[in-house]
Amino acid sequence: MKKFDYLQPETLKEAYRLMEKSKGGTRYIAGGTDLIVNIKKGVIQPDALISLKRIKELTGISQNKELVLGSMTLLRDIERDSSITQAYPALVQAAKVLATPQIRNVATIGGNLCNSAPSADCAPPLLVLEASLILEGPGGRREVPIEGFFKGPGQTCMEASEVLTRIRIPPLNGGSAMAFLKLGRVSTDIAVVNAAACLTVKNKACMKCRLAVGAVAPVPLRLESVEKMIEGNEISPELLERAEKMAVDEVSPITDVRSTEEYRRTMSGVLIKRAIEQAMKGSE
Amino acid sequence: MKKTIHFILNGHEVSVEVESHKMLLQILRDNLHLTGTKDGCGQGECGACTVLVDGMSIDSCLYPAFEVEGKSVTTIEGLVGEGNKLHPIQEAFVEKGGVQCGFCTPGMIMSAKALLDENPNPTDEEIRKGISGNLCRCTGYVQIIDSIRKAARSLR
Repeated sequence: MKKFDYLQPETLKEAYRLMEKSKGGTRYIAGGTDLIVNIKKGVIQPDALISLKRIKELTGISQNKELVLGSMTLLRDIERDSSITQAYPALVQAAKVLATPQIRNVATIGGNLCNSAPSADCAPPLLVLEASLILEGPGGRREVPIEGFFKGPGQTCMEASEVLTRIRIPPLNGGSAMAFLKLGRVSTDIAVVNAAACLTVKNKACMKCRLAVGAVAPVPLRLESVEKMIEGNEISPELLERAEKMAVDEVSPITDVRSTEEYRRTMSGVLIKRAIEQAMKGSE
Repeated sequence: MKKTIHFILNGHEVSVEVESHKMLLQILRDNLHLTGTKDGCGQGECGACTVLVDGMSIDSCLYPAFEVEGKSVTTIEGLVGEGNKLHPIQEAFVEKGGVQCGFCTPGMIMSAKALLDENPNPTDEEIRKGISGNLCRCTGYVQIIDSIRKAARSLR
């Protein structure tokens, strides 16, 4: 493994200063459970890492109408937070099945997003919850909807000197219900397919529908055409069948060591159908 | 880049000069000669390197050594029962055949410790989830789960 410096600033300002001073090849590190593996494999060879662990501005969970998560919130803390479990169960379900207890004790929600794996388990729930991400850097602060954040496997809309500081999840409409489902070889594995649904149901009709799938396209994907088809209608077996077929057509999976393109495509439809069904049960 | 880091290791204060690219696992094994913690996959998959940092189980192979500054680390060497005997979790692994080749055992026991500290009365399902980050290549999971169930009983 290539040697690297390890810097531990205590404020964001200091982190930016260290990043601006660096010659390039310097990376921010959050929990490091993906980054260190990639350094060990030689995929990336940074000269220095700037640790975000001591920066207090990046921690904390606050829930007051909207939910705001510091980017360095551990998956472990999301998993055990009773108010998040009650208000946003799909996010907690995703955190619970992400990797292993040892990883969840170190890995952060911000790291899971910034790593930008198409299979990131936190992405589908945050997509259907219409989260927005606060990005800060030496040039200032901006807020981007999560849909515009992912640009491809391992690529986001962030500048090298920017840090994801907070994740904002807006309050839900009354009558909303949600679900998260994951298909993996074993429960702790990287997802073959994952999916989330968030529905607002009034008088049996689905007024608002948000659907997302992961690991089946270069980025975690919102299924907007399926959402539009569902909105305004009562969720019937025929409608679910149409949703399944449409989802299958919207995804563009690949074949790799975990699964085949064909299986992923088929299961995208199945998981979306099941996620809608499960969310509907929750809304009753 | 080198630095002296200070932390509590198995109840004792230690200071070690470490290089910035080293992981906690290497410091424990190479600098402090505590070889109970095993070097398995090196990628956070197998859990053989599991130790507790401030009571939480972590994969020490992926944990930058600089990050343990000021923290409390417990390794398998730090598990001691009353009267300097084996810890009840270790006793249970011996009694219930939870050890086969033994390579995964220190990590398994540290995961069991983290689980039982938080949940003294786990269901079998909770035990399985608790050790989901630890692989046993001998596949002796049934006896490992028996061992943890027994340990939970004797610790309660």
